[in-house]
Amino acid sequence: MTSLILRFISRLRGLFGQAKANYEFASEVETHIELLTERLIRQGMSQKDAARAARRQFGNTALLEQRQRETRAFLWMTTVFQDVRYGLRMLARSPGITAIAIASLALGIGANTAIFTLAKAALFDALSVPHPDQLRLLAYTQDDRSAIRHDWGDFYTDKQGRTVVASFSYPAYQRLRDRDHSLGDLFAFVDVNQFEHLSATIDGHAATVTAELVSGNFFQAMNVGTVIGRPIEPEDDAVPGSGAVAVISDAFWQQRFARSPSVIGKTVDVNLIPITIVGVAPRDFSGASHVHTPQDLFLPLSMQPLIFPVKTGSLLSDADTWWLQIMGRLQPGISDEHARASLAVSLDQAVRSTITVPNDRSVPPLLLLHGARGWNYAAQELEHPMPLLLSLAGLVLLLACANVANLLLARSSFRNREISVRLALGASNGRVVRQMLTESLCLSALGGSAGLLLGYLGRNILPHLLSSSWGPATLTTRFDWRVFAFTFVISVLTGLGFGAGPAWQAARTSLNAGLKDGGTTMSRHRGGVAGKMLVVLQVSLCMLLLVCAGLFVRTLANLNALDPGFNKRGLLLFAIEPPVQRYPAPKNIEVLHRVEERLASLPEVESVTLSREALLAQSGSNSDFLPEGRPRVAGGNKHVAYNSVGQNFFITMGIPILYGRPFGLRDTATSPGVAVINRALAQKEFAGTNPIGASFQMKEGGEPIEIVGVCADAKYAWLRADDSPTFYVLYTQQKDASGSMTFEVRTKGNPRDFAGAIRGVVESVDKDLPLIDVRTQEEQIDATLAPERSFATVASAFGVLALVLASIGVYGVMAVGVSRRVNEIAVRMALGARADQVLRMVLGEAMALALAGVGTGLCAALLLTHLLNSLLFGLKPTDLLTLVTAGLLLSVVAILASWGPARRASRIQPVRALRHE
Amino acid sequence: MSKGEAMTAEKSEVLQGTLDLMILKTLHALGPQHGFGIARRIEQISEQVLKLNEGTVYTSLLRLQQRGWIGFDWGVSENNRKAKFYSITKRGLKQLAIETSNWETISGVIGRVLRLESEESS
Repeated sequence: MTSLILRFISRLRGLFGQAKANYEFASEVETHIELLTERLIRQGMSQKDAARAARRQFGNTALLEQRQRETRAFLWMTTVFQDVRYGLRMLARSPGITAIAIASLALGIGANTAIFTLAKAALFDALSVPHPDQLRLLAYTQDDRSAIRHDWGDFYTDKQGRTVVASFSYPAYQRLRDRDHSLGDLFAFVDVNQFEHLSATIDGHAATVTAELVSGNFFQAMNVGTVIGRPIEPEDDAVPGSGAVAVISDAFWQQRFARSPSVIGKTVDVNLIPITIVGVAPRDFSGASHVHTPQDLFLPLSMQPLIFPVKTGSLLSDADTWWLQIMGRLQPGISDEHARASLAVSLDQAVRSTITVPNDRSVPPLLLLHGARGWNYAAQELEHPMPLLLSLAGLVLLLACANVANLLLARSSFRNREISVRLALGASNGRVVRQMLTESLCLSALGGSAGLLLGYLGRNILPHLLSSSWGPATLTTRFDWRVFAFTFVISVLTGLGFGAGPAWQAARTSLNAGLKDGGTTMSRHRGGVAGKMLVVLQVSLCMLLLVCAGLFVRTLANLNALDPGFNKRGLLLFAIEPPVQRYPAPKNIEVLHRVEERLASLPEVESVTLSREALLAQSGSNSDFLPEGRPRVAGGNKHVAYNSVGQNFFITMGIPILYGRPFGLRDTATSPGVAVINRALAQKEFAGTNPIGASFQMKEGGEPIEIVGVCADAKYAWLRADDSPTFYVLYTQQKDASGSMTFEVRTKGNPRDFAGAIRGVVESVDKDLPLIDVRTQEEQIDATLAPERSFATVASAFGVLALVLASIGVYGVMAVGVSRRVNEIAVRMALGARADQVLRMVLGEAMALALAGVGTGLCAALLLTHLLNSLLFGLKPTDLLTLVTAGLLLSVVAILASWGPARRASRIQPVRALRHE
Repeated sequence: MSKGEAMTAEKSEVLQGTLDLMILKTLHALGPQHGFGIARRIEQISEQVLKLNEGTVYTSLLRLQQRGWIGFDWGVSENNRKAKFYSITKRGLKQLAIETSNWETISGVIGRVLRLESEESS
């Protein structure tokens, strides 16, 4: 053991005292040989013979010195230093090739880093609280037989097709918290933004804010403190309506209060209720609902009845409405299954003690979800594009690898001689292979570093593409160790990947062949074939990427060109949500109507209307549609889309009325209910008969509504959806409706210039009404096309990148090919071949490579693009135009790339070649 | 018996091991010696039977130093040059004893095996 340590230390010392030790050893050898020579002379040899014999007897000094060096220090360390230094020198010797290789790698690795940063954010990032992995979220699967009737809030459908809900009632939460401690102290929270927009008036200025209501033990159980002030405490949450305090997020502190410490104790009006700020949460803390979008405010759950009152009264005493999320921390020594089973029992008791469970219904089975990523609804949406984006990036990296491998192969065939010399001087095969791999790794390390930088610079491009232009980014990416690790790993893998070819070739270099001057050798021939195969691979990968890009671009173009059935240009959109505290229904209709009238009187406004649902905003309202005088079919006619709109809706939106009339002045809040239905609904419900004058009800026993007109079909919630049967009712006649309404303002000139004037109008009606989501209709549509646009942008960028890489590949292999064949071409020309024939020959070869690549790529595309089918719109995955264009583009680029080498070939002088020989 | 370095392990493990042993024994018997002196002594003892590149002696010497079995002092050689004079250390003496008994055991075993072979073949 001690000898091992001694050896280690002496080797470590050897690593640093190399030069001195080398010198000492050389002099020791010198002395030895001198003494030996003298001895031989004494034995009667001549000076010359003795010196030679002495050297022979001593053995190979160079080899010995090498051994000595290797024994002295860590063999691999010294040689790695040597290899790296030598590798960098070799790379510096061909700066052009090196630069292209590093650039290819940087682009490939950078693209992957950027996409991975996003994928990591969408798939891996956890809440920034201590030990997020301990967090568990309570959820259950909901079906028709569930005892829980009224769940409210986000849900998702899991892989087995079950509807997963994580909403609980406040009474159920209280019972669970009191009875079950298998998850420690259970805490509750709810993201208010999924139900409504809160407005906050700070220093006389109203704006929308995001907020999370949290239980009193929330901060304590999350193990999160505050930067200044105090967190929300159990006392704040003790009595409903008490605890008018808030903790604000760091971002909100920065934006609104410029990080002023005097924010503590300040009062802001949230939905007109004065709230005192008591603390500021730490920088990355985003609450429990979302990992990436920080809430502005954290308020105690006790404030629910005041902050967002609902019709049924206080949700805190409502056992029927399930709206609250519950989390806990898995306690040490308790398994997931144990905690789940225990909580399932408690839930069953909690449900049965708070609501009556009918015989035909049951308490749904409890699920314990990992809570480290919050109730991550937004991120779950983002998961879908990730595999595709990652595969596209992977293709680019593969292409970059092929490119670099090709460059290295081209270079290594010129390095045959060098390698042969190294082998002849006693380098082992392994040593040469290691040298080649070290060089590749140097290259990939450089490329990886540059790629990391590119990825860092580009990290926000994708989140930007994926979020709407007016709102905050749905995703903020963090550049952390995972990204570094990922980039490091792919850099090493690419280094090994593209380095394997040249290294293998180097290992097979035969000693003799390389040392013979000139002449074609087997290994060169093979190198040429490998290079060509790599080019074919490059071209086919490029073809695949171009086809993807083409399909996505055409999909986006198709969607953009799609006529939504209304005039989307020149419309400014914004929403208003009259707070229920000040405007209980139907007073909210009055204030909306006042805003509508004032806007209409502005000279720049052509016409103005409002609607419950903004068009093409990925949400819609549904209602029963029960025509009068028809037998009721059980379960029939459910879920007809409807929108409650302003009087000028059809004129403002430019939806033509086919027959009947639009809403008019005579339709008021007190006149009989009227509706306009679209053509699809008319066809479905009144095929062959005139619907005008017919009546229907929106619910059993509701007021009859008369159909006064039929309008043309227009897109409602989704651009991709077919025109669904829809009816429109007047908002002024919807007496018990509340919530936000979106105004649509058709302006003369650019609608964007008009936002200020609108703000003035709304403030003149009520200064506490914030404008929500001010955007144009076109921006609104663009936002719904975010995935398509990001696919099209990413795929196009990658396609262009691939084209550049592939053209470098074609150029490289043709240039090397021509310079190898100088003799052959010269002989051809000496035998009478004309310059244009040579030109055509070289171009023909390039073309053959390109066509082989295009063909392979085409096969791959035909095999793979059907996977994209669900993402495309208005075209098939085997879209002929796309395939042909991609193929033509690649062929043209291949010809352009090989034009230079072909020209050079056609200008070879026969005489020069003969001299060369 | 010491193990040879991985580099040349397959080629001359036994030779290297024996060379190490011979050097240790030489230093033990003759006291401090420089590399040349060691080479001469081995030449003399082996009576020219063992042909060896004298350079390898230095590889052995370095290895023995690294294990802490020998040390060295600077001295002056016969041709008036500064030279390293190697001497065996305490740990080296202990190792020599172990290696010697190891060698005797192994050579005894190999000798018996070889005799057995020749008996069978006769």
